Amino acid sequence: MGVAAFVVMLNGEHNVHRGAFAGLFLATGWGFVGVGLWVWKQRSAGNMGPLMVAVGLSAFVKGLVFSNDSVVFAIASVGEVLIYAVLIQLLLSFPSGRLETRLDRLLVTIAYVNTTVVQLGVFLFTDSKAGCASCPSNPLLIEHSQAEAVLSAAQLDISIALLGAVVAVLYRRWRSGTPGRARVFAPIVAVGGLAFLLLMAALIVEQAGLSSDISDAQTLALFASIACLPFAFLVGLLRSRFSEADAISALLAQLGEGGGRGALRDALADALGDPTLQLAYWVPGQDAYVDADGQAVRVDPAPAGKVSTIVEHEGERIAAIVHSPGLAEGRELVQTAGAAAGLTLRNERLDAELRAKVAELQASRLRIVQAGYEQRRRLERDLHDGAQQRLMALGIDLRMVRERIEHDPLGAAELLDESLHELNEATAELRELARGIHPSVLTNRGLHAALKGLASRSPVPVELLQTPTDRLPPSVESAVYFVVAEALTNAARYSRAQTVTVGVVRDNGHIDVEVSDDGVGGADADQGSGLRGLQDRVAALDGRLDLTSPQGLGTTLRAMIPCA
Amino acid sequence: MRVIVAEDSLLLREGMVRLLEEAKFEVVGQAGDAEELLRKARAHKPDVAIIDIRMPPTHTDEGLRAARVIREEMPDTGVLVLSQYVEEAYALELLGDDAAGVGYLLKDRISDLERFADAIRRVAEGGSALDPEVVSEMLGRKRTHDPLNVLTAREREVLGLMAEGRSNKAIAEILVITERAVERHVTSIFAKLNLAPAAEDHRRVRAVLLFLGT
Repeated sequence: MGVAAFVVMLNGEHNVHRGAFAGLFLATGWGFVGVGLWVWKQRSAGNMGPLMVAVGLSAFVKGLVFSNDSVVFAIASVGEVLIYAVLIQLLLSFPSGRLETRLDRLLVTIAYVNTTVVQLGVFLFTDSKAGCASCPSNPLLIEHSQAEAVLSAAQLDISIALLGAVVAVLYRRWRSGTPGRARVFAPIVAVGGLAFLLLMAALIVEQAGLSSDISDAQTLALFASIACLPFAFLVGLLRSRFSEADAISALLAQLGEGGGRGALRDALADALGDPTLQLAYWVPGQDAYVDADGQAVRVDPAPAGKVSTIVEHEGERIAAIVHSPGLAEGRELVQTAGAAAGLTLRNERLDAELRAKVAELQASRLRIVQAGYEQRRRLERDLHDGAQQRLMALGIDLRMVRERIEHDPLGAAELLDESLHELNEATAELRELARGIHPSVLTNRGLHAALKGLASRSPVPVELLQTPTDRLPPSVESAVYFVVAEALTNAARYSRAQTVTVGVVRDNGHIDVEVSDDGVGGADADQGSGLRGLQDRVAALDGRLDLTSPQGLGTTLRAMIPCA
Repeated sequence: MRVIVAEDSLLLREGMVRLLEEAKFEVVGQAGDAEELLRKARAHKPDVAIIDIRMPPTHTDEGLRAARVIREEMPDTGVLVLSQYVEEAYALELLGDDAAGVGYLLKDRISDLERFADAIRRVAEGGSALDPEVVSEMLGRKRTHDPLNVLTAREREVLGLMAEGRSNKAIAEILVITERAVERHVTSIFAKLNLAPAAEDHRRVRAVLLFLGT
């Protein structure tokens, strides 16, 4: 294809500088294709290889505009500017081969639209003979006096703005990086920036309607710079490879020095040149990422303006690195760095996991203390409003009996009956209170008896499926009892259920408690302190509590508690 | 009638003894824990041992266990277990094997001396006394397919009193009906619940309890 394009260009009758153009296009096309294929083979730079090959091929397409054949001329004229869009994509995705930011993707999209759709529109209205007598005629020409002028003016404006933006982005990327990163970027920014500035200048000249001589000279200079670009990429990529190696060896050296909590994050931030880098450890038990202090970190989706790279060690997810998208060395390096830090990462993860657990423990301990405080307050209130009041009333009654007993024995007897009634009420209240605090039958007879008692008192019919007949550790028995008690209370209050089934199975070192009703469902675990308290109670035994309550499909409360 | 009182709270024990003596019971011994109870029961062979369920040293169910020992060693001594709150499980444990000469009451019942004395006498005579609260808990239990649905309201009442350990005569008095009517209800209840008829009151209690307890 390159040869064909070369031949076509050399014979192009409508080009005064055909020799120079043909040579440049050939050099550009082959340069990109060659370097692209080499990079492609390295497999380390993502799409960079294929992209460069695409640039090379589109350079050949551009060369074909010098064809004398009107069909080839037409196709090439439409595809002529595609090369700029591919170039923009290539530059913006350097060195990872991916467009990491939304701005990048937007710019590339605009470039492609501008060089395909808009270009086709312009060509449809362009009379190629006008101003170039030797050019082949446009087979697709639509005669319209204004359309071409309007469309091409718009295309020019868009192109100039787009190129300005791309140059600015490249410049910023070059300036904002670490020295290593700047070194990687320098050749690309220099040559690519120059090419785009030349292109912009050419476009501005065209917009101003200056002579074709100047524009031909500019095009030559432009293509000369574009022809240099593949080699600039090559240098950049090689430098990036060196810089990766530097980064990894620096990282390993830093890891060797050890350091306290967070040292690994600092080492990675240094090595990758991203001071805002966050290291998030995967905690399988909590299905969440935490930082070195055990605080939760958002990884998926990453916070705005960040991307996250998952680090695996021996096929096991251990961490995620949340970094800025423009990290010059790209995700491959982040992954390489993560892998290099694998062992340290695993250790630090265990550390972080522990901290997360401690943080959760501290929180739950606080809740338990608060729950205890709440419970005492409630008890105090119950005692104060109930038994205590009754006993005081009883005292008054008895005093009245004492006064009445001599002159009104009948009235006194009546009063005494009232007192006895009052007394019975008081003891009944105390009894219920005591049973609520701790069911003695649980301690004395174990779960089976205690759960039967709960089932008997439940306002909703309870089907007791299975309960362990042997005794369990008191803390486990107590947790199971309160899980069932709470579930039954909730079922009676909210579920409108017809039946509740309760099953407690001891299996494989676990106690599995399941209470399900056939009620309305829709219960929310976050509402009500009762469930929260249960969660803490179960978590204190290293167990877990799950509530499933789909709307209209009943509620199931399940607790799994380790029990050897 | 000779009784022993086992109760670790001195205040309550003395109060109880005073009440019992007032009701013409002869309190032949007092005990503050299970060991003392067993020693004195073996020595005095009382008609009834009135036992608090929670006693030293563990304050859990010492009384209950002592009661079973007494049942085994001294079949002629009735046991009446008192508890701060009643539990179905304990009731079934105590009366489920053999309800003859066994009682299980809330401690509060002491204050109604007449009924308390009646319960002691029933137990002493080889009958049974089960606290109405346990009975109502068992009868009132919500079941998906409640077998008690086949009973009439009156039959439920009779069933409850039977479970408490009342004789036909007592039931007739409480419900103000004839003993014949009570007998008819009892026969009907046993037939409806598919229970084998039981002649003696305490066997009746056991049969009803086992039925309700499952």
